Amino acid sequence: MSQSEPRSSALLEIFDPKAPPKPIGIDLGTTNSLVACVKNERPVTIKDCDGDAIVPSVVHYGPSGEVIVGRHAQRLAAEHPRETIVSVKRFMGRGGDDPETRRLGPYEFVPPAEGEPNVVRFAVRGKTVTPVEVSAEILRALKRRAEDELRSVGGAVITVPAYFDDAQRQATKDAGRLAGLEVLRLLNEPTAAALAYGLEKKQNGKFAVYDLGGGTFDVTILVLDDGVFQVRSTGGDSALGGDDMDRALAEEVFRLAGRDPATASPSEVRVVLDLARRIKHGLTDAEIVDVENPFGGSQLSISRARFEELVAPILARTGVACRRALKDAGIEASELDGVILVGGATRVPAVKRYVAKLFGREPLGDIDPDEVVALGAAIQADLLAGQGRPDDVLLLDVIPLSLGIEVGGGVVDRILPRNTTIPAAARATYTTQEDNQTGFEIHVVQGERELAADCRSLARFTLKGIPPMPAGMARLEVTFRVDADGLLSVHAREERTGKEQTVSVKPSYGLDDETVEQMLLDAIDHGEEDLAARKLAEARVEASRVASSTKKSLAADPDLLEPGERERIEAALAALESAVKGTDARRIELAIEDLDAATKDFAGRRMNRAIAAAIAGQSLETVEKSVEHAKGIEAAHAESGPLPPPPPSG
Amino acid sequence: MDPFATLGAPRRFDLDLAALEKTHRELSRALHPDKFASASASERRAALEKAASVNEAWRVLRDPIRRAEALFQLEGIEVGETKEPKPSPAFLMEVMEQREELAEARAKKDLDRVRKLAAAIGERMKAAQERLGAAFDGSSRSADELARLLPLLGEMRFYRRFLDEASAIEEEAEEALLAAEANGEKVHA
Repeated sequence: MSQSEPRSSALLEIFDPKAPPKPIGIDLGTTNSLVACVKNERPVTIKDCDGDAIVPSVVHYGPSGEVIVGRHAQRLAAEHPRETIVSVKRFMGRGGDDPETRRLGPYEFVPPAEGEPNVVRFAVRGKTVTPVEVSAEILRALKRRAEDELRSVGGAVITVPAYFDDAQRQATKDAGRLAGLEVLRLLNEPTAAALAYGLEKKQNGKFAVYDLGGGTFDVTILVLDDGVFQVRSTGGDSALGGDDMDRALAEEVFRLAGRDPATASPSEVRVVLDLARRIKHGLTDAEIVDVENPFGGSQLSISRARFEELVAPILARTGVACRRALKDAGIEASELDGVILVGGATRVPAVKRYVAKLFGREPLGDIDPDEVVALGAAIQADLLAGQGRPDDVLLLDVIPLSLGIEVGGGVVDRILPRNTTIPAAARATYTTQEDNQTGFEIHVVQGERELAADCRSLARFTLKGIPPMPAGMARLEVTFRVDADGLLSVHAREERTGKEQTVSVKPSYGLDDETVEQMLLDAIDHGEEDLAARKLAEARVEASRVASSTKKSLAADPDLLEPGERERIEAALAALESAVKGTDARRIELAIEDLDAATKDFAGRRMNRAIAAAIAGQSLETVEKSVEHAKGIEAAHAESGPLPPPPPSG
Repeated sequence: MDPFATLGAPRRFDLDLAALEKTHRELSRALHPDKFASASASERRAALEKAASVNEAWRVLRDPIRRAEALFQLEGIEVGETKEPKPSPAFLMEVMEQREELAEARAKKDLDRVRKLAAAIGERMKAAQERLGAAFDGSSRSADELARLLPLLGEMRFYRRFLDEASAIEEEAEEALLAAEANGEKVHA
């Protein structure tokens, strides 16, 4: 991105070299991306030298390896349709064979080689890039923009559509890592928008957020109560958005011009898609838009009425999701206190009218629907970095789609149903289907359908080495944990033998850690940064964070320490402090791990005290009992039948 | 293992859910990973586990069927469709008839009938819950006495599925209506 001359406003700000790195919020959108931060207690977007907050999510790969992001890349798209990736978010976390990747678009795809993860690969100037790498380029551009403005950038909150599944979330987080960002949190876009609105208005009540972005649709029903944003339900479609309006219009343009889109060149497809977007924007204010025929010949004219006809099926699909979300939330449309519009596509008059009719009220739109998500992300980043306002703001989000595993007959056993509040954990117990079955195949899926084959496959793994037993004797306990980013990890344990295995769910459609590491190494070849130096710096930051937090805990609850415990913790602290003086990142990491182990029990006791204090505020008499029992994960999931044995080859 | 203790609630079927939701919110406030963003890994992990267990406890208690399952389990009575006694043939017969009626009403697009059937089942769901409320009222009862109520779980699961199905049929009908409306609008446009 072009370096700018200092803006006049920048001259007025005094740069404090000792100021802590500033956390940022990023809206990584299908069409447009933005970065924002909190300044003087207000969230603001960070603009370029032209005063433009929006970075089009377009990445161009130049002939000599240069990468261009944003408006300039957008201008190159028509001339270089295959070298310019537009709306890459649509491909995040998707398999190369996913129907979504085969829709109208100019790209050339490369099938994964034997043994390579099944992710989309674009062929660009003789090499292949994955959506994670393309997204990382957008994130890098946003990071650079933030650095130009803030000098030192701290952690980042990156927003994702609420309806993103586990693979899509993981891909987004990987892109953040690849871009060299410390990802503080993945935040759901509607929740971010609600945060921006809620803090702005200080309102309590029930709200619906209708978020029609470039490529994704989300609806979220949430309750705001004294600073707690509790998501009751979420629904949507991660492959539905303003792009679909463009595509419907593009197909209309081809029709009017008497051309078959199937025979159009990549460059023609790109030109027509861009034209469609301009027509859409034009129809926001005009009743009719006339455009040059891109194939020559007489002018084409498209009326708003015709456009609304074309987009009616898209709106109807959003309506289905909205009604289901209301039902899941147990809230009637008439009970809502407000409807928030998010996403550029909600500027279309037909969308506004549809939403007003659907919810029976005029939607709110006083914060720019393009900026509201980034602003909310900046607020959350600020809160997470401990720089936020003192008000007790808390987001309680949910998982958008049920998580489960495949049991006998290909049926899904749901372990965590959709709209479960995160973080979440639950376990289920299974048994063997056949005599002498020595392995369990665990197939983790996400979705609402009854059959595993109809759901999204997230991961498969096999727990082996179980001694032969009659069918039904082995007992396999599977634990699902979903963290505050909405990311799943699965733990399996055979109870009789104690055999266990844990996987962070990534493999089916994601990139494994080694691949991401390799990509980071490749980035160094391009002279971007020194990985070792970065690792050392990261380890030192982490060390100082852990040390100061441990000291604070020791000072806060000294009475919870058992005899000898303080000495063990202080010894580990001293070892860490000496490791930090050296330059061996690995040694620092190990010292952090040792300190971690030394403080584990103490941390557990402190949490029990926190629970007791919170309950005490509610009901005094039951505190003692609660502290006794509130240990570990309490799941009441009934036994759910046998698991099939793994395939013989595995 | 004991969601009641986790949320500091009395171990009974009838609960003040509004008050419990507040407790859940306060516990979440105290434990949410966001509050430990700058804490050490061991504290973050401990907070995450506790927050998850608090969420799980709330998920169990707010749902009447899961709440009842938890109450039986806490009395040492195993639950789950394979562990519970088979439903009586009379109940099964009735179930089949009800389902047939529902399927018929759906085929005939008789929404009124669908709603009436659902309302009747809703009443029976309520009755089952009242019986559980009377049995699990905080006083101690023998496991044998409570185990006799176990068939109520299977019945409630059936009622739940039936009500889900009925509302899916209603939804389907509404979608069809809306689609027709949208088409009508198109003609006028």
